[in-house]
Amino acid sequence: MKQILLITDGCSNVGLSPVVAAAHASSEGIAVNVVGVLDHGDVGELGATEIDEIARAGGGLSRLVNMRQLSQTVQMMTRKTVVQTIQLAVQKELKQVLGNGAIEALPPDKRGEVVRVIDELGETSGLQVALLIDASASMKPKLAAVEEAIRDLMLSLQARQGKSEIAVFHFPGTKHGDDCVMDLNWTTHLNGVQAIFPKLQMGGTTPTGPAIMHVIDFYRRGDYGRQSRDETDGMMSGYVV
Amino acid sequence: MATSFKVDLRRGTVVTGKWKHGRYRVERLLGEGANGKVYLVQRDRSWFALKVGSDAVDLQSEINVLQSMAKQKQQGHDSFLYDVDDLYGPDGREYPFYIMRYILGTTLADYLKRQGPEWFPLVGLNLLGKLSKLHQEGWVFGDLKVENVLVADYGHVELVDYGGVTAAGKSIRQFTEIYDRGYWNEGSRQADPRYDLFSFAVLCIQLHEPKRLHQLTKELLPQNRSADDLIRIAEANLALRPVAGWLRKAFAGQFADALEGADAWRQLMHRRDTHRTPGMPGWLKGLAAGTAVLLATSAFWLLRNMM
Repeated sequence: MKQILLITDGCSNVGLSPVVAAAHASSEGIAVNVVGVLDHGDVGELGATEIDEIARAGGGLSRLVNMRQLSQTVQMMTRKTVVQTIQLAVQKELKQVLGNGAIEALPPDKRGEVVRVIDELGETSGLQVALLIDASASMKPKLAAVEEAIRDLMLSLQARQGKSEIAVFHFPGTKHGDDCVMDLNWTTHLNGVQAIFPKLQMGGTTPTGPAIMHVIDFYRRGDYGRQSRDETDGMMSGYVV
Repeated sequence: MATSFKVDLRRGTVVTGKWKHGRYRVERLLGEGANGKVYLVQRDRSWFALKVGSDAVDLQSEINVLQSMAKQKQQGHDSFLYDVDDLYGPDGREYPFYIMRYILGTTLADYLKRQGPEWFPLVGLNLLGKLSKLHQEGWVFGDLKVENVLVADYGHVELVDYGGVTAAGKSIRQFTEIYDRGYWNEGSRQADPRYDLFSFAVLCIQLHEPKRLHQLTKELLPQNRSADDLIRIAEANLALRPVAGWLRKAFAGQFADALEGADAWRQLMHRRDTHRTPGMPGWLKGLAAGTAVLLATSAFWLLRNMM
């Protein structure tokens, strides 16, 4: 199971539309979840709409939260999307057997059996979550909370019986108009990772769409970066994608 | 997501199950959990609790746990799952629900406020007893918190909201941050009996020092959270000091399960200081100190005048 979790606080303003990019992800079998972080004010109507649409196109969930709820939301969304992904697959199977894919249409006893399978798969199947962090200037004061949320997510994922990996990216890149930078390659733990975001230079642009495309590309080239992974124990701070 | 939950059953509404046609009359809202709302309902002059959810998979997952628990129950246990069905909400949509035993009781915090803090050691013991039954059958309660414990007369305890109940070895299905040992950097979120004992210990602190606990969560940086800070609160509280050693062990995961924890707790109850009524309130202490100063001053004057 593959997920992209986008954490942002506003609107994209450069390059490909993030909604189109999210639809690309969805067609590659990657669910896109979006968390919009608010600070006292809000993300604006435009931001809220975009966040909602990205998640819809990406077959994931979207939430607007304040900083204090961030960890809990990230953890809950990831879990919920795992169930949803499996549910979709199970429903496809059900459709072939029953002609109707809706779990709700089953009588409670049968429903119980199906849900047992969903729960079991949700707990045991492999899971990859690529976190994509908006590091534009306005996000700077929120990065500590984002880092906490990532650590908290790792803790929850480690409790699963299946293998769980996360990778972390931020955008925009520092120089030369890079769209996206990898902070952490696939890893199953964060032991010994001092800071996920070492001194970031916050850029002015928000290329959300291009950044999503980069992460899809990262997923597609499954072995990307894996050769050097052994040497660095899964961490490649500041590696430019 | 579960939080945008709209079904709202009015008092007097009669709910009819889609599959088994059971009829229930809604009396009032009892509470709200992560997976749905719980109502007090009546059927054939008996009271039940009805939990209605918005997501069929989420609620069914909870029902599955309740059903496996019910299967394991030996004689002498009350079964608590009576009916599982779907209902048509006021908006015409279908919502899954289940019917369980209605538990009469007040929340833990209210009970102690009303009946007095001297009930705390016994209520704690009874709660550990409830947990140990779950643990013996291979379950972990998961989302143990003040809100999920009801107390009836004479300190009888019932756990409510089984949405967090998890088979040992799997990842905790539902938890609340301040009760979660992962949040305090004291261990994993994999279900084991020690997980509940950690939450139980936080619950003890939450009951006696809710403000200081809340303050702590605001002050500490995530990486600096640890059980040491929790123990410090416990040691500074008169009612908790006698159990501070027990709490330390629970935080450190030194009780294998609730049974072992209950045995240690029981031994504490027979020590005198556990039952010592809380000492003088603060204002009385101030008054006493003031009186002492006055006394000293007048004695001084008296002595000086005599010389």
